[in-house]
Amino acid sequence: MIKLDKVTKVYKGEVVALRDAEVDIQKGEFVFLVGASGSGKSTMLRLMNKEESPEKGRIWVAGKDIAELSSWKVPYLRRNIGTVFQDFKLLPNKTVQENVAFALEVIGRPRHVIKSQVPAILELVGLAKKLERYPHELSGGEQQRVSIARAFVNRPLILLADEPTGNLDPDTSLGIMKLLDRINRTGTTVVMASHDRGIVDTMRRRVIELDRGVIVRDQARGVYE
Amino acid sequence: MALKVDYFVKETGRNLFRNPWLTIATVVTVFVAILLVGVSLLVRSGVQNATARWQGGIEFIVFMNPEATPDQIDSVARDLSENPQVETAEFKDKDQSYAEFLELFADTPEFTANITPDVLPTSFNVKPSRVDPELIEGLVLQFAEKPGVREVVAASQAIREIKSLSDGLSTGILAAALLLTLAAVVLIGNTIQTAIFARRREIEVMKLVGATNWFIRVPFMLEGILQGVVGAIAGIGGVYVVNGIVERRVQQADALSLLSSFVIKSEDVFTISIFLLGGGVLMAAIASAIAVTFYVKV
Repeated sequence: MIKLDKVTKVYKGEVVALRDAEVDIQKGEFVFLVGASGSGKSTMLRLMNKEESPEKGRIWVAGKDIAELSSWKVPYLRRNIGTVFQDFKLLPNKTVQENVAFALEVIGRPRHVIKSQVPAILELVGLAKKLERYPHELSGGEQQRVSIARAFVNRPLILLADEPTGNLDPDTSLGIMKLLDRINRTGTTVVMASHDRGIVDTMRRRVIELDRGVIVRDQARGVYE
Repeated sequence: MALKVDYFVKETGRNLFRNPWLTIATVVTVFVAILLVGVSLLVRSGVQNATARWQGGIEFIVFMNPEATPDQIDSVARDLSENPQVETAEFKDKDQSYAEFLELFADTPEFTANITPDVLPTSFNVKPSRVDPELIEGLVLQFAEKPGVREVVAASQAIREIKSLSDGLSTGILAAALLLTLAAVVLIGNTIQTAIFARRREIEVMKLVGATNWFIRVPFMLEGILQGVVGAIAGIGGVYVVNGIVERRVQQADALSLLSSFVIKSEDVFTISIFLLGGGVLMAAIASAIAVTFYVKV
């Protein structure tokens, strides 16, 4: 599903964020990217949805070489990739259901699809009763659920999560992980960057560890270190 | 598809009202630029009509009597062509005079209705070898004496001055309009940049969920184009107002004065308006396209 072949990413010509990274992720896998801040986890995620382009190497996503992808095709790549962030990136002036509907609206989905999909996905993430709330009226965990709903409403093949539990307390984090696990069980490939030791150790999934841009460990059913 | 139209209308409206003063400044600048271009074109077209007879170096016209004999006409033609001080002399028969007459008085059909080609004189439009008032005066006196000649009319010094003044005037106005157009382009770009900045979070989300570049850009482009359209329509309104004022002056003027021939045909005003609308929209579209391409990237 995702393959990195000798990928090197350099920022501003000097800072090496990723060096000769080799990764092969199968469809339906759940993969943790671990490592200290600045080890290259976020860079790897940003390369996967072509927010960044590598200096060297090739990247395949869903069977396509995305380095070769012309820029007008990038949006169509991203429709297959959901993204979730530490800071949720919700729109404060839109309600919960408007935030989720927005993701379908702007890729031109018809109204009847939006009308049926949005409540269904919000039901799945456990927010059926809060459709009309605004983000500031929700707890951090609830906001992250909205952002997961938005990332998943278009049923992407891949879900990229960059420190999704970084701003949440341990109990809430566990709830979010259960949700991501459930999404993974529908066949969606999940790649999650995290430095939350507790969560990585509890889940016992594949772990890829990065240290200053170099992959130092790739272990099935691994722990944080 | 219906959904998209809704979406574009909604977003464009929101952008326009987010920063009303910047929107107003942009529209006013477009308005003034369009108005100036329009007025300069009006002046040009009016002067061209008023001095239509005197284009291409023609300095005097020998009008024959309508009942002049062919022999008299031939004799004048020969004298003109043999005169070394005459460069060219172009003969106009009754039909050509009639066509020119209709053209000149197109806006006053009640006047042209009573005229038929045979009451109009034939004439020679003469271009002398040099533009020298003394030489022209001599020629005028000389040909006025010939048999069959009714009258010789020379372009006055006034006409020469009006031509050069109006050329300078419309060039000056055009230069000012050009500067204002530049300002309008910058302002449209700036309003769009402001709108894009105000909505950067939404744009970020749109990119992440896979909205296409053009989908993101269209509302901003529509905003810029709409400003151009509103400014252009206001400018065209201004052109009609200016034209109305000029027309009233022309009608009140003494029929013999030069001003009376300063007519702007209504079809000219219409052509100018279409040109202004097209130009305004094109200018706004280009400015918007540049701004969105510059500020919204994948």
